[in-house]
Amino acid sequence: MKVAVLGSGGMGGVHADVYTKLENVRLTGVCDVRIEQAEKLAARTGATAYSSFDRMLEEADFDVISIALPTYLHKEFAIKAAKAKKHIICEKPIALTAEDAKEMIAVCEDNGVRLFVGHVVRFFPDYANMKAALDSGKLGRPGVAHASRIGGHPGGWFADDSRSGGVILDLMIHDLDFLRSCFGEVSSVYALNAKKDTLDYALVTLHFDNGTIANVESNWGYPGPFHTKAEIAGSKGIIRANSLKSSSLQIAKQGSSNDPGASVVIPGSPGFRSPYELQLEHFLSCISDGGNPIVTADDALKALEVALAAKESIRTGKVVYMQGGRNQ
Amino acid sequence: MNPLKIGMISFAHGHAFSYLNSLLSIPEVEIIGIADPKRGRVADVISKHGIAYYDDYRSLLEQSMDAVVICSENVFHAELTIAAANKGIHVLCEKPLGVGADEMNAMIEACNNNNVQLMTAFPCRYLPAVIQAKQAVERGEIGDIVAIKGTNRGTAPSGWFVDPKLSGGGALLDHTVHVMDLMCWITGSEPEEVYAYAATLFDEKLDVDDAGMIHVKFENGTFGVVDTSWSRRAPFPTWGDVTLEIIGTSGVISVDSLGQVNELYSQEAGTGQWNYWGDNMDLYLVKAFVQAIKQGDQVPISGEDGMRSAAVALAGYQSIETGQPVRLRV
Repeated sequence: MKVAVLGSGGMGGVHADVYTKLENVRLTGVCDVRIEQAEKLAARTGATAYSSFDRMLEEADFDVISIALPTYLHKEFAIKAAKAKKHIICEKPIALTAEDAKEMIAVCEDNGVRLFVGHVVRFFPDYANMKAALDSGKLGRPGVAHASRIGGHPGGWFADDSRSGGVILDLMIHDLDFLRSCFGEVSSVYALNAKKDTLDYALVTLHFDNGTIANVESNWGYPGPFHTKAEIAGSKGIIRANSLKSSSLQIAKQGSSNDPGASVVIPGSPGFRSPYELQLEHFLSCISDGGNPIVTADDALKALEVALAAKESIRTGKVVYMQGGRNQ
Repeated sequence: MNPLKIGMISFAHGHAFSYLNSLLSIPEVEIIGIADPKRGRVADVISKHGIAYYDDYRSLLEQSMDAVVICSENVFHAELTIAAANKGIHVLCEKPLGVGADEMNAMIEACNNNNVQLMTAFPCRYLPAVIQAKQAVERGEIGDIVAIKGTNRGTAPSGWFVDPKLSGGGALLDHTVHVMDLMCWITGSEPEEVYAYAATLFDEKLDVDDAGMIHVKFENGTFGVVDTSWSRRAPFPTWGDVTLEIIGTSGVISVDSLGQVNELYSQEAGTGQWNYWGDNMDLYLVKAFVQAIKQGDQVPISGEDGMRSAAVALAGYQSIETGQPVRLRV
């Protein structure tokens, strides 16, 4: 299968590197308006660099495109790719508005191409393990859940709410999607948010149709290592994940010769296959065999709708009841 | 020096045993009696320590004493506090201070009118990690506080705790107040708006809520959330937690108040346990009460403090009725 990558930033690089590792997959093109970025990635992966997507569509040979652009550009390029009959793997969140997401889904359907959205937390082994414990019944009926995603502010276009949607649309959406995969549809959303300089912090409480309550925390502005935490407490048991505590590798090093006192500790949690690799391999196999993905474009739309409800709650100060939920 | 004479009314709340042990360890305190309508509940301690027993609290209050510790069912806090105040006796009352705004106002007023002090038992203010977190905040180490995410998860109690006629509420009332008090104490601000969601999710047989999430907006713009759920039970390795994530504009302080544990794996327990080895917060709470009364100082945690946090929990129940945030009466 031949693939190309649009966008040579952080996630574009991840996608491209994974494609070079997967068997029976060939990365033919990488594209970025910042041509030097594209060339760097091309040099690393052996693909051809393009600065124009139109040009890549004309010249490069590929069936699948990874769209790893800033969120506000997803719709425009997804529609362009769909019309060129390319299957699409789009980074999360699917779009900035539900209307845009629905249009992307519709255009892909009309053009007979698949659309996948990179809600990669479904492929993180710690999260998959939590969901498996829940699904096995070991936790009994789920009652109260927590999920936290904490790291530094990524800056750049992420800092512009009109392009990224802020911490809720860009970061928390991972947990919103994961929790929906665990507990089903959300009936109401209440959210709190603080935005100051390089801090974007949100607390969102979800109430699910199945009765479960979840409080979701996201922090762009933490001056320490990125980490995630989650807990599901049920009538029969509790499962807890904490990426800091489950680090299986820690490297402690003396500081540089300039400053030998300043030691550094680098935590890690290595695996033979990264969640991104598992995700992209899964999406490509769905394209080959026509199978249904673990996470669908509709799931991505639903997670976006929950995220947008959270933003509405912040704006109005009210609880937002989702369609079909209790109306006030 | 004259000892401080202290009586105890009701051991309905198990914290009474811890407060008694703490009081017994303070040399300048004399326990003059225990009143409890259920003798069986206190039979061991009265015989072990040779403490006078009263089946009626009124008889205890006839004795000469300086202060009482009240650990009754929540709905009797007001009656007992007011009775003690009217006898000129200082009060240390278990939390939540009361189950309604009017009765809590009456408690505070009775103590004021009788020139006695009312202290609410919020022992979490005597956790060293909490104290140091507050000091770090005051030093500006994380900039300005914007939010606090807290948990006070626990194991479902039984008996009167789960009888709304005696407890006045479930986990939301039981477990909002500790962390809410810490949030008010650390932010130095007043709660302004409350939204809660609570339900009975862990044990459907209960008549009260055992799962809850309560949110508060403070006057200074800070906000907070507390998980109040009775979500812990065997084989979870401990009874519960008190945690705070204090989010500032330039940093985060994480407090796991009861995190000072060793992991114990014993065939006797059958399951792994977390053995707490940190300081005993109840002892420091009781010492602070005794010291304030002895020296005639203001008690460090007032009746107003108790009412403020209980009012948040009560507003939480109100918000469950309306399905939307409610403003607090200030």
